[in-house]
Amino acid sequence: KGKGKRRADEMEVDEEAVGIVGLSEKKKKNKQRVLLLSSRGVTQRMRHLMMDLEALLPHVKKDSKLDSKSQLHLLPELADLNNCNNALYFEARRHEDLYLWAAKTPNGPSIKMHVQNVHTMDELKLTGNCLKGSRGLLSFDKSFEDTEWGRLTKEVFTQIFGVPSTSRRAKPFIDHILTFSIVDSKIWFRNFQIMEKDPVQPNGPPQTTLVEIGPRFVLTPIRIFEGAFGGATVFSNPEFVTPAATRQLAKRAKGMKYNSRKD
Amino acid sequence: EDAVPRQKVEIDNKVVLEQIRETIKLDPSLPWTETLVLSYPHTIDVDVDDDLKRELAFYKQALHSANEARARAAKLNFPFTRPSDYFAEMIKSDAHMERIRVRLLDESAGIKKSE
Repeated sequence: KGKGKRRADEMEVDEEAVGIVGLSEKKKKNKQRVLLLSSRGVTQRMRHLMMDLEALLPHVKKDSKLDSKSQLHLLPELADLNNCNNALYFEARRHEDLYLWAAKTPNGPSIKMHVQNVHTMDELKLTGNCLKGSRGLLSFDKSFEDTEWGRLTKEVFTQIFGVPSTSRRAKPFIDHILTFSIVDSKIWFRNFQIMEKDPVQPNGPPQTTLVEIGPRFVLTPIRIFEGAFGGATVFSNPEFVTPAATRQLAKRAKGMKYNSRKD
Repeated sequence: EDAVPRQKVEIDNKVVLEQIRETIKLDPSLPWTETLVLSYPHTIDVDVDDDLKRELAFYKQALHSANEARARAAKLNFPFTRPSDYFAEMIKSDAHMERIRVRLLDESAGIKKSE
């Protein structure tokens, strides 16, 4: 009997403790889950980039390729089915151009970006390594604060690329940092391993050094939509030239060269 | 000559952008350890075509943020550095790291040979 009573007492205490914790707002958690998927027609390099992101972000749920490129409105539903509140959708066009949609589902916004200069972790130039599923730091440079679209992008990226502490596969230590920097009105992504000791002087004073892990890519923002994968455009980048137009221009210049030689 | 330069319509609806940010924004009372987000207090102003300088700027940004994060983590008593006896699966497999090592060795051997 006594035992039972004690247990009840303990439970009361526990409840109280929980209440106190709740009051001091220690229980607030950043809950994010990201749906990651691509359209059909991704090349091997694009697929590897997706694999890298999946390995880096333990709160990502990967789904199979989306069949149709015209039915983007299915994506919020898919995210909902997978209990995700964010989506990263890679859209491949003509087997060479890659676009990335970063969206908050179900209510938006969504950011459409053009992905260029992709280097994946498989490439052997980058010697860094980190724990699988460790939570990465996120670093944004000051340019994100200069424009309204930059501030919004920073907020969305913080939620998508930041690994929440509640993620099941997250590790308790920090050993890498993701950096986002705006240079030339493009967003550059890098991922570095944080090393505590200088490999040249292992017995010297602890000094932070960084080694790049990968992947690398550059994002050019194209448009920001109000809703998830649709809705009114609230920002469009006037400097963006479609890759097809760039190629066309290059081809035409070549043709001109031939024409002038012929004449 | 007949090509009419098309003026692209620029949309930058700052009011709505800010409204959207307000609606999706994370709770500001969230402790820093939940987001781990850091801001670098400088803009990166380098020639984009100069690979070396550009990458150095990114490195500096990451280093600055990493040091700031360590200071914050120490203040909040948040585990940061991985202890040397903590082993778990790494993002790149041992086989992959071995391939990288072999490649580095090959490269340095090649340099030595050519000297």
